[in-house]
Order: sequence, then structure tokens, then C-alpha cells
Amino acid sequence: MRIWAQVGKQTMGAPATVGHVCAAAMAGVNVDGAGVTIMAGSTARDVLHASDRVAADLEEWQLTYGQGPCVDAFTRGGPVIAPDLRSSESLSRWPVFSPAALDSGARAVFALPLQIGAIRLGVLDLYRARPGAMSSYELADALAFADATAMMVIDDAAGLQPDTSELAWQRDDPTAHQVQVHQATGMIIAQLGASAEIAFARLRAYAYAHDRRLGDVARDVVERRLRFEPDSLRESMEQDEV
Amino acid sequence: MSERQLAEAFVELADTLVDDFDLMDFLHQVTVRCARVLGVAAAGVLLTDQRGALRVAAASTEQTRLLELLQLQTDEGPCPECFHSGRAVAVADLSAAAERWPRFVTQARESGFASVHALPMRLRSDVIGALNLFGGQPGALDERTIQLGQALADVATIGLLQARAIRHHETLAEQLQTALNSRIIIEQAKGVIAERRQVDMDEAFELLRHTARRNNRQLSELARSIVDGSETRWLGEPAPTAYARAPIPLHRSDGGVG
Repeated sequence: MRIWAQVGKQTMGAPATVGHVCAAAMAGVNVDGAGVTIMAGSTARDVLHASDRVAADLEEWQLTYGQGPCVDAFTRGGPVIAPDLRSSESLSRWPVFSPAALDSGARAVFALPLQIGAIRLGVLDLYRARPGAMSSYELADALAFADATAMMVIDDAAGLQPDTSELAWQRDDPTAHQVQVHQATGMIIAQLGASAEIAFARLRAYAYAHDRRLGDVARDVVERRLRFEPDSLRESMEQDEV
Repeated sequence: MSERQLAEAFVELADTLVDDFDLMDFLHQVTVRCARVLGVAAAGVLLTDQRGALRVAAASTEQTRLLELLQLQTDEGPCPECFHSGRAVAVADLSAAAERWPRFVTQARESGFASVHALPMRLRSDVIGALNLFGGQPGALDERTIQLGQALADVATIGLLQARAIRHHETLAEQLQTALNSRIIIEQAKGVIAERRQVDMDEAFELLRHTARRNNRQLSELARSIVDGSETRWLGEPAPTAYARAPIPLHRSDGGVG
């Protein structure tokens, strides 16, 4: 809730974009810049947003050199925190990226994967011009901003452009992390023969379209009352006791 | 529980702390051993998502009802209380705790549980999660059993540190996030298997685990290849569509409840 309220402050009523989420993250977790890179597979990459020159450079260096916190966060599926790029640990871990990033003006980098289980979309990179780890509160919020960015990318892929104010409650749907949501995503993968990204996007799109909670729709899928059909955009709802 | 059973449990768990360490399988093993050695009906591990809430990491059985009961504790129940206080929470008789956690108690009793214990997973000054033990009969666990439970909770914590030691650059925060994401991948894989093989979620988990063991693969790595479609061999043909099964979808009551 808090996270979307912070994003809302940035949008001034306009439809929310990844740029707004980055701006909110910069204010919220006390970093100097933010960038988002979308990765399809292990090679194709697309810089979706960079808040400033340094953030753009960071994305550029990782793309060029194929190393850096963002690359590791994506391949490992977990956050990668580099509190001081000048440390021997960072310099030995990313021998080409670290000096380049320092030259550009970044000192600490926090790379947070945009992911939901096996769905790997890309990475949110946050940087500070000064060294230092995040506090546990800052890290918690940074992870929440990464979740918000991931949802935004997924919704964008599904062709959903929700207005933040009206749909904020759905974005903050507390049922969104229930195990059934992930199980349902898996079932829809098999039903559609589609990727996890598409399956999850379809599940969310259905919940939006029917003004229902994600967890409730997921339960219908898991209990085999609702299935998704590959050939049309319609889902077939088995009817209960008409 | 005999001394021998207990010693075996620890040796078996220690055995898994090797090179090819699979955290998700390890946490599952800890919960299975808890149920067996401590004589409780079911056990689960919840880990902090670092945003103030707990998320399901592992359970002794993958029955949906148990997973739901564990995940309900994002909001209320003995685990959040244990997590926030850092102290063990013992409820000998759930029926006496209905006012304290109305939803949790209702659902736990519906699942056939009568007592519950939550033990902190502690790492120095941090609490990183909780081990949840469910009993089928009312009654508090005796002091010795609680101590053993706490030892198993500590083993689960060591497992997290072990995974971290192997990927030696990671901080604990990074490791916890990776573990929770692995859990999501397993749920997604269960869904794929459940649909492809037309089985329920616990059977899907057993198939996943069995296949990982038989082929000497990590649970989370196999789960990922099932979700991304690179692993299809043993999954069988895609399930027939609803239309193929019944041209007119009718779902009349078959006499079953719910």
C-alpha cells in the first residue's frame, strides 16, 4: 500500500510508468539513481528506464561487459548488493564493470531481480554515489519497489494500463502471494502451452476484467472450475449447479 | 521418539550438507523429520520476506490445506507472534485461542489440528523465520521435545547459512529472497505437473521430488526447467481440454463435499 502511495505521488494523476516507480524508489530508499533493464532470455536486453546519466552508464557497462550486479541478480534469481564497488570483493568479482561504474560516478549498486518464481523479467538497479549498505528498512522497500516494477512490466505485456488510483488496491492485493496464484500460473502454462510470463499475465488480466481478487481467480483455476483456452481470449468457466 | 531415531535424523540432515546442496529439499527434509521425530502431525517452515511478513518455505506434507494454514500466518497466528517476540509460542489447546487468532484457529481445527507450537529460527540477534508444529491432539509438548524441536529449527537455519556459504558472496538477505523465490518456482512447477498429469497438488510435489531424487537433480533447478518448458520428457502429453472431456461443461455435485 505504502509503495503504491509513493508511486502515486510521482504520477500527479497520469498513468503510472516504470519511470514513476523509479522516481518513487529514489525518494523512498535514499538512492541517487535507478535503472530498469528488461532481459528476454540470456542475451536480448532492453534498457527500459534510466533516471540519469550514471544509471544509463551502469546499464550500458553491464550490457557491454556482460558482468555486474545486475547480470548476477538476473542469473541467480536473487538480489545482489554491492555496498562499495571500490572494495576488493567488488573489484575481483566484476573486474571490468567495477572500475567503469566507479568512473561513471557510482559507488554502491543494489541490483534487484524483477521476478515471480521462474518468471524472470529483468532487473531494477539502484545506485548511490557514496558507499554504504542499505538499512533493513530500505532493503525491504527496495524489494517492494522491485515487485511493483515487475507487476508493471507484466501488466504492460498483457496490454493492461491501469490507472494507479483506481487499481491500487488490486496491485496491493494481499492474496497475490498465495501459493494458489503460483500453482494456477503453472496450470495455465500447461493449458495454453505458453510461457510463465504470459500465463501469469492472463491470470491477472482475467482478475482485472472480472473485478475479482487474484487469489480467488487462482483458486478457481487450481480447483479446476476455470480453465484458460489457447485458441481464443475467452476462458471457459464451468458452471456450478445451474 | 527413540534416541536412535533422533540421532539418525541429525545424521541424515547433516549428510545433505554437501556440495550439491539443495536448500528447498533440505527444508522439506527438516519438516518431515520434525513430524516424525517430535511426534507431531505436521510441520512447516516460514521465512521472513523482509517486508515484515512471513512466507511459506517448506512443509512436511504438501497438502493444500496445510500450505494454506501456513500462509494464513502472513496475517495472524502463532508464527508471527513467535517471529516478532523471538520466543517460542505454545498453544496446548487451540480451542482456547479462538479469540486470539480467529481465522487461524478456525482453519487449523478444520484441518484436524488441536494444538500448535511455533519455535523461532534465530541467527545471532536476528529472527529469520519460525518452525511451526501442529499436533492432532490437545496438549503441550514437553520440555525435552521442545528443545529437540528448537535444535531442528536451528538445523534449518544452518541450512540457510550453508547455502549462503556455498554461494559465498551472498548476504543473508540475498539468500532469504532467493529461497522464497525458489519456493514460488516449486509452486509453479506443481501447477504445470498437476495439469499435465491430471493429479492433485500433493501428488504433483511427490512426482517432482521423486524425479529430482531419481535423476540426482536439485529440486528447484528441476522445477525451473519444468516451468520454462525445457523439461518435458516425463510430463506426458498436454491434458485434453475441457471441451474434449465434456462438450457441455456440467459440474453437477458428485456427492462430495466441497
